[in-house]
Amino acid sequence: MTEKPHTVKSYEEQLQHLSNDLVIMGGNCELAFSNAIKAICKNDHALADDVINNDTVIDNFETQIEQEVVNLIALRQPMAIDLRETVTALKMSSDLERVGDLAKNIAKRTKLIKKKLPNELTESIERVGLLVQKQLKSVLDSYTNRSPDIAQDVWEKDEQVDDLTNNCMEEVIKYLKSDSENIEYGSHLLFVTKNIERIGDHLTNVAEQVYFLVNGTYLEGDRPKGSQSIVTGEK
Amino acid sequence: MNKIEAKNVNVFYGEKQALFDINMDIQEKQVTALIGPSGCGKSTFLRCLNRMNDVIDICKVEGEIKINDYNINQKATDVVRLREKIGMVFQKPNPFPKTLYENISYGPEIHGMAQSKDELDQIVEDSLKKAALWNEVKDRLNEPGTGLSGGQQQRLCIARAISVKPEVILMDEPCSALDPIATAQIEELIDELKKEHTIVIVTHSMSQAARVSQQTGFFHLGKLIEVGSTDMIFKNPNQQQTQDYITGRFG
Repeated sequence: MTEKPHTVKSYEEQLQHLSNDLVIMGGNCELAFSNAIKAICKNDHALADDVINNDTVIDNFETQIEQEVVNLIALRQPMAIDLRETVTALKMSSDLERVGDLAKNIAKRTKLIKKKLPNELTESIERVGLLVQKQLKSVLDSYTNRSPDIAQDVWEKDEQVDDLTNNCMEEVIKYLKSDSENIEYGSHLLFVTKNIERIGDHLTNVAEQVYFLVNGTYLEGDRPKGSQSIVTGEK
Repeated sequence: MNKIEAKNVNVFYGEKQALFDINMDIQEKQVTALIGPSGCGKSTFLRCLNRMNDVIDICKVEGEIKINDYNINQKATDVVRLREKIGMVFQKPNPFPKTLYENISYGPEIHGMAQSKDELDQIVEDSLKKAALWNEVKDRLNEPGTGLSGGQQQRLCIARAISVKPEVILMDEPCSALDPIATAQIEELIDELKKEHTIVIVTHSMSQAARVSQQTGFFHLGKLIEVGSTDMIFKNPNQQQTQDYITGRFG
């Protein structure tokens, strides 16, 4: 359905403001995550500091969006598409805030790693990191364009994230096994890999929310999962 | 189960057509809300359900309205009996200029529903209790009904409507003249009444429709645009016009 503007202009502006805030919050998450991946792969502590310091911006957006949603519900009693816009904004902001937190955690672990990591390891992290960055961009596009098709595509592609996470985990385990000196850094890298995979999961949540926002129905069936997962220990 | 089935209902006021081919099923012992902008035909449709449009000379109703599978638009229909089965509550409380007691006892008396004074007393008490008014008025049943507050008067009118044990109660914006407390009392009452009665309510308050009804029909320019579960209508309606209306996008 294409929506006409509301008769009450201030209501229209409030909903538009909410949507804009989410898009800007999403943009901040994109920046945080891409910098976190760059920082870990290049062992760039200054960039890691940036990610850590900027997380409050993302946190503040979550608080602001929550207040806007509470105001809309209390003062406008949104219905139908407006209700879905409002509720989706609340849920999306909470998932995006977690994306910010996980990126920040990657940055914190980067700062604990004091030497350059082997190339095959950073390449593996970069590979899954880039895929998740693409997923993040796509899911934000799906929200901006109100496109359930792009949202569904993101949801389905999480299987690839699972697969690349497994590859990355294998590389980390290889690194851990190769030298007992690697245990400290290797442990951090296990968490970094897991964090990237968790970000992917939050993005599938966002994809589900966008799908619901537009269609008013839920994505059906089980999300496709990658093969044997070292991450979860599933066989 | 369907209590009321409207089939191809068209209504004309003289040359002007007010309703166009309305098809709608109304479920038994549920609350059905009719919403839509002023002049959309929702009250006209409501008034078709107990042939209240008969009292308007220029009004002509076509189509079938079946209640308990009986077409009430047949010539043979006894409209007095019909309105005993299908009660009505209006926008503005309209108690008779008589005592509280007489306001309630009038209907059962003319319909011969009580054989004795005791029976009549009992009907009056039961009706006032069901309308959640008994405790407030039991000591002044001989005072005029018009002396009550607006909310009490409306509950008196509901008590009057249910005193003849109707199967269906039609409510035409029953809360539009009431304050929020009286409105909440009426809404609570509607919740109770639906256990024994089928209720059709016309309301301009969409939040009220959402709160009290299980089924909602949206009318626009004399047409029933969409009807479905209240849940669906207010969360994810199928029709763009419904969505525009309930979200406040009036073109």
